[in-house]
Amino acid sequence: MLTKRKEAIAGRARLSGIAAGLASGVLDRRSFLRRSGLVAGGVAAIGSLSLGAVRKAEAGPVAAGVKSEIKKNVCTHCSVGCSVVAEVQNGVWVGQEPAFDSPINRGSHCAKGASVRELVHGDRRLKYPMKLVNGEWTRVGWDQAISEIGDKMNEIRAKSGADSVYWLGSAKFSNEGAYLFRKLGAFWGTNSVDHQARICHSTTVAGVANTWGYGAQTNSYNDIRNAKTIIFMGSNAAEAHPVSLQHVLSGKEMNRANMFVLDPRFTRTAAHATEFVRIRSGTDIAVIWGMMWHIFKNGWEDKEFIAQRVAGMDLVRAEVEKWNPEETERVTGIPGEQLKRVAETFAKERPSTFIWCMGGTQHTVGTANVRAYCNLLLATGNVGVFGGGANIFRGHCNVQGATDMGLDITSLPLYYGLVEGAWKHWARVWEVDYDFLQARFDDVPAKSGRPARTRKENMELPGIPSTRWFDATSFKADDVDQRDSLKAMMIFGHGGNTVPRMPDMIKALEQLELLVVADPHPTTFAAISGRKNGTYLLPICTQFETDGSRTASNRSVQWGEKVVNPIFESKDDYEVIFRLATKLGFADKMFKNIKVENNRPVAEDILREINRGGWSTGYSGQSPERLKAHVRHRDKFDLVTLRAPADVPEVGGDYYGLPWPCWGKPEIRHPGTHTLYNTNLHVKDGGGTFRARFGTVYEDKKADGTSTTYNLLAEGSYSKGSELTDGYPEFTFGVLKKLGWDKDLTEEEVATITKIGGANPDAVSWAIDLSGGIIRVCLDHGVLPYGNAKARATAWNLPDPVPVHREPIYTPRTDLVAKYPTRPDGRQFRMMNAGFSVQKAAVERGVAKDFPIILTSGRLVEYEGGGEETRSNKWLAELQQDMFVEINTADAAQRGIADGGWVWVYGPENKSKAKVKALVTDRVGKGVAFMPFHFGGWYQGVDQRGNYPKGTDPIVLGESVNTVTTYGYDPVTGMHEGKVTLCQIQAA
Amino acid sequence: MARVKFLCDADRCIECNACVTACKNEHEVPWGINRRRVVTINDGKPGERSVSMACMHCTDAPCAAVCPVSCFYTTADAVVLHSKDLCIGCGYCFYACPFGAPQYPKVGNFGSRGKMDKCTYCAGGPEDDFSTVEFEKYGRNRLAEGKLPLCAEMCSTKSLLAGDGDIIATIYKERVMKRGYGSGAWGWKTAYKETVAI
Amino acid sequence: MKAQFKTLVAALALLFASAMLPAVAQYNNFQPTKEAVQEDKLLRQLKDGDRLSGRISIPDHQAASLIQPQGQSWRDFHQNKLPTIGGVVLLGMLGALVLFFLVRGRIKIDHGFSGQTITRFASLDRFAHWMTAGCFIILALSGLNVSFGRMVVLPLFGPETFAMLTGYGKLAHNYLAFPFMAGVALMFLLWVKDNIPNKMDLEWLKQGGGIFAKGKHPPAGRFNAGQKGVFWIVIAGGAVMSVSGWFLLFPYMAPDGVAGLQLFTTVHAVLSVGFIAAMLAHAYIGSVGMEGAFDAMGTGEVDINWAKEHHAVWVAEEQAKARSVPSNSVPAE
Repeated sequence: MLTKRKEAIAGRARLSGIAAGLASGVLDRRSFLRRSGLVAGGVAAIGSLSLGAVRKAEAGPVAAGVKSEIKKNVCTHCSVGCSVVAEVQNGVWVGQEPAFDSPINRGSHCAKGASVRELVHGDRRLKYPMKLVNGEWTRVGWDQAISEIGDKMNEIRAKSGADSVYWLGSAKFSNEGAYLFRKLGAFWGTNSVDHQARICHSTTVAGVANTWGYGAQTNSYNDIRNAKTIIFMGSNAAEAHPVSLQHVLSGKEMNRANMFVLDPRFTRTAAHATEFVRIRSGTDIAVIWGMMWHIFKNGWEDKEFIAQRVAGMDLVRAEVEKWNPEETERVTGIPGEQLKRVAETFAKERPSTFIWCMGGTQHTVGTANVRAYCNLLLATGNVGVFGGGANIFRGHCNVQGATDMGLDITSLPLYYGLVEGAWKHWARVWEVDYDFLQARFDDVPAKSGRPARTRKENMELPGIPSTRWFDATSFKADDVDQRDSLKAMMIFGHGGNTVPRMPDMIKALEQLELLVVADPHPTTFAAISGRKNGTYLLPICTQFETDGSRTASNRSVQWGEKVVNPIFESKDDYEVIFRLATKLGFADKMFKNIKVENNRPVAEDILREINRGGWSTGYSGQSPERLKAHVRHRDKFDLVTLRAPADVPEVGGDYYGLPWPCWGKPEIRHPGTHTLYNTNLHVKDGGGTFRARFGTVYEDKKADGTSTTYNLLAEGSYSKGSELTDGYPEFTFGVLKKLGWDKDLTEEEVATITKIGGANPDAVSWAIDLSGGIIRVCLDHGVLPYGNAKARATAWNLPDPVPVHREPIYTPRTDLVAKYPTRPDGRQFRMMNAGFSVQKAAVERGVAKDFPIILTSGRLVEYEGGGEETRSNKWLAELQQDMFVEINTADAAQRGIADGGWVWVYGPENKSKAKVKALVTDRVGKGVAFMPFHFGGWYQGVDQRGNYPKGTDPIVLGESVNTVTTYGYDPVTGMHEGKVTLCQIQAA
Repeated sequence: MARVKFLCDADRCIECNACVTACKNEHEVPWGINRRRVVTINDGKPGERSVSMACMHCTDAPCAAVCPVSCFYTTADAVVLHSKDLCIGCGYCFYACPFGAPQYPKVGNFGSRGKMDKCTYCAGGPEDDFSTVEFEKYGRNRLAEGKLPLCAEMCSTKSLLAGDGDIIATIYKERVMKRGYGSGAWGWKTAYKETVAI
Repeated sequence: MKAQFKTLVAALALLFASAMLPAVAQYNNFQPTKEAVQEDKLLRQLKDGDRLSGRISIPDHQAASLIQPQGQSWRDFHQNKLPTIGGVVLLGMLGALVLFFLVRGRIKIDHGFSGQTITRFASLDRFAHWMTAGCFIILALSGLNVSFGRMVVLPLFGPETFAMLTGYGKLAHNYLAFPFMAGVALMFLLWVKDNIPNKMDLEWLKQGGGIFAKGKHPPAGRFNAGQKGVFWIVIAGGAVMSVSGWFLLFPYMAPDGVAGLQLFTTVHAVLSVGFIAAMLAHAYIGSVGMEGAFDAMGTGEVDINWAKEHHAVWVAEEQAKARSVPSNSVPAE
């Protein structure tokens, strides 16, 4: 695209020469001054006055003649996975060059990516371990810190149990770090191990996995170039995933594609849409059903696709019936004709892709929203095709990988879940006794009328979601379904301002006995509460200061090389986890098969262990060697297909980054899977079917005693080259035997399977077959080891098997609550979810009258997450210096609020308030306000800069939106309600 | 060497500010100086477009015309550069520049203007190529390394184009033909007295 | 009153509109690609003095302006208009003075020096005058240099030396602005009471100050109409130069950003050439142009004959004042 200069300029006109020629022999500055007498007397002072100083360089330039090393890593911000090319001289990162060879970003970055070099020069980083001593930050050594933390943990364990220590991990871990952290949680003996996916796409993972098998983006950013119709719903990719827009806008231009943006806010993404549709926040299901009403009414659905590959669409059809254009408009505010146009285009101008983000997921109905989106895709036959699919844009650089690695309260690594078989599988991979692991868990006595739990039961019970750790801390022990309430938070790389109800969080923070923040920055956790003791800050380096792999949103796994050594006294996650494990006494077991050099586990070895256990998700083929080869040959991969030509050495035929599932052992060289569930390809070319995860039939028992049986296996649909030409269940040794394919297994493979199976080898499934033999044989026969099923339009195991519209807890449309109430109260994740009671009380109290404006939240392109890191980056911080609230021009005029003026935003709970600047704009509709969620360091009008350890305060501080956001949790995942609450705004 | 130019395709620009931080990163531009910036026209309203703007390296540059000390010069590639040794920080180029390109550190008398700073098209200044003093005064000299301005190279959506004026005009033209819309080659009429005819 | 009423109506209309037509202001559903703004159209629609601007997140308001066509008019002013105005006014004044000198010669004291003097300006008066005048000379020279030096001086010294010279000129200009402003203020306080125009000035002006004819001296008080003119030029001109210059000194305080600065430089430059021309005439008549005049600001003592010829009324007043001095202050004879 860009034209390159062929050669350096030789004949450039140089003023210096001319100027020098003219000046020399005339007068130099000093003699001029002498002669002119200006230096004399009273004006002598002028000599010391600056004529306008020239700045001093801070790091750089690239010194001529010094050897430059090029290091390749991956941007540590969003999930697009942009390659970063670093120029390093003498161990200093001196320059950042565009990575033109990456098929993902082709040299591009956003504001954050283009400024990552600052992160390793960051003078606002945490420089050494610190602890609070009577309210004063005090420097301590690493050994002392780890030792004191470990002692305290053991004390809490003895007193309150293992479940009283919460492990909050990070989407900024590498895969290896995330995996180790999950393993650490398992060895400690709790399932309360979580990370940011809880608050961004946990509902996506749950919703999507429950529909067709895996909880991930089905296609890729690059593949959007193939789309003819694109819907963004609750996604502002232009700010959250800027480089993805390169593919989106190119595709839009090349195909003259339709791009619809459905959002409460006219975003920077919407500005590039062919059509913008403003919806009322929190009415996604109504919008989707409203679209599908037109689709079913006019017969635009893909009947063949539904018949072959979808189960339970008839139940969805029945729900959709209710959403005629009138009701849809009444609830969502979208005129029927417009929605009809969007629906018709989406159904007819295919392939169509549906993109969503946190606008869809961060709701009390998050999982249901996601399920509705999936249904739209299924009804129109847009899954498993190039240019179609659910393009779920994930948030952080490795939120996909960290989710895959099981930083999740409901699963061990790679989605094995918490069932006995899963624990036994990982015990085999780790080569530790299952009994040892079980013994690490608490048994829970009977409390408050709830039965007791054995260690085994507790080991198989999901932990506490990160959205509610503070409830689990401040609730009475009787109200938390575990031995005791939370006493310690181990927070590795997670912001403290990212979850609603901060006033409640602060109270809990002050009750904790131990708070450990391991992060490059102190984070809001360190500054916001009145804690005086028992608080430790451990400086962790960024991913640029260590190596490891990270998984982009499209499931491509990219290896990052260490650019420079950890700065100051910071250490990488691997080392800190190892030191903790050593202190806690199980390092020898935990690192049995992982090489440790100078207290630092070797990243490649960790990945090999992941490969050895990660069969279920196809994390088995991405060996460090293959991933590194991909980095070397990055320029060989096609921009649209992401595939390297077959004749390229090392990576020929591979998809870039071996997007999972990359089946079997690395040696069989599966190319990875660019598009999930794509039956047009052979499984060895990344083809697939829907996953048979939910059995073969489902008997839907109705209240009247009748029942309908659904066949959950595909009918007449199979992936290209499959020897089985109909649906089939997932593979076990037994199934192989039935088909006579067991002959294809090697003796060694059979021996492994037999060893695993013990008394019942036939039950050994492809996912726990450590030999990889079952998978290998399946691939040779062109079938998917996980089976060939239908996607479930109706997910019978979820609270709302067919999604139904439910009004947000704090809704301005109280008239709709009676018809569309939120789900009844219930105990989930060891605690009460009292959403229904809160909604009822809010309606009865008339909250909507006092707080008439809908408050929603989202990202800014300059910042990320809680924002401590990006607000500390001077190049980014300059661009957004004040926390603000977007308020509609009409609402502002009514309140006498001027653009740029200070306002108070009041929330409906806890008498909360936040002082921010007003951004008066029509981006938000009347009655809607928007606040970015990256700010912290101010609390209810008070600047808390002094609470940070000296020199580590971010450049920009501001109120956190979550000071005023409110109650509300998705029943399936514990996702908070981050996108709809109510507020009032007044000029300050 | 042909004439180099910038072209911001506003139908691609998403105001991601990569150009801004790439510039800051490459040249270690201090806080308060914005060699490049992104302005959004019609914010929040139908018709909204964002445009990345910096020195356009004008033909017959107004800054050069009005400079009292004649500190500007134009390279063979038509890049408009200036000498900070000569600049007196009077602000005239800022008054004359249609694009608001000249920036001033607030280090002059009474906190007023210091020496002017602006986009160099990543071409350094009158000092020796790759010298420390060149870097300190003007930033890195990518053009001399055979590279193009980093803002354009790192643009998230390939909205900002840099390079030979004729070539980038052709790229833009092809895009507009292909997609059927284009809001114009922003600033071209003002800077180059010509526009990209579609 | 009328303007206030208009604002009120406008405000009410706005209120009404926002109450009545929320749907119009809502922008709920539209086609962003199709409806995108066109640069061409926007530029054509720009009214005189308007800028093409938008929103920007950095707190620098100037940065929100994308294209300001006024830069081109300012350039035209600075490159074409100002040199023309400056050339005509300054060279014109110089020419006129030379011509006047050639025609009229030095205006002599008709009755010659009497040897007896009268105090015209006390030391405070003279301090005020010379502080202002001294600053003015440097301000004028450095100002002229910044405006025209590139054409005239640069070729003599070369860019480096010239830039350095101009740089120090700018410094001098910036710093001397303050004593200059103080001087103008001081002069105003000292002399304003004697500079109120009166009937005598009309007569003086009618006779052209007697300047064109020998031996003709219309009566005048402490200051004649010509001097009053100079006074008011200095006060008014000085004030406008100060205000416009103040914002050029502190550009970040200027109202309306670059547009304000453009206006202030224009005013500052145009006024300054007029100011300089006026001061040239003033300096001429106060020195080479008139015998005995320089003493007024030199020693402060002027010859009584000179004083009687040019300021008859003032001399009479002064003498009357002297006589009325209480006798005890003078030794008895």
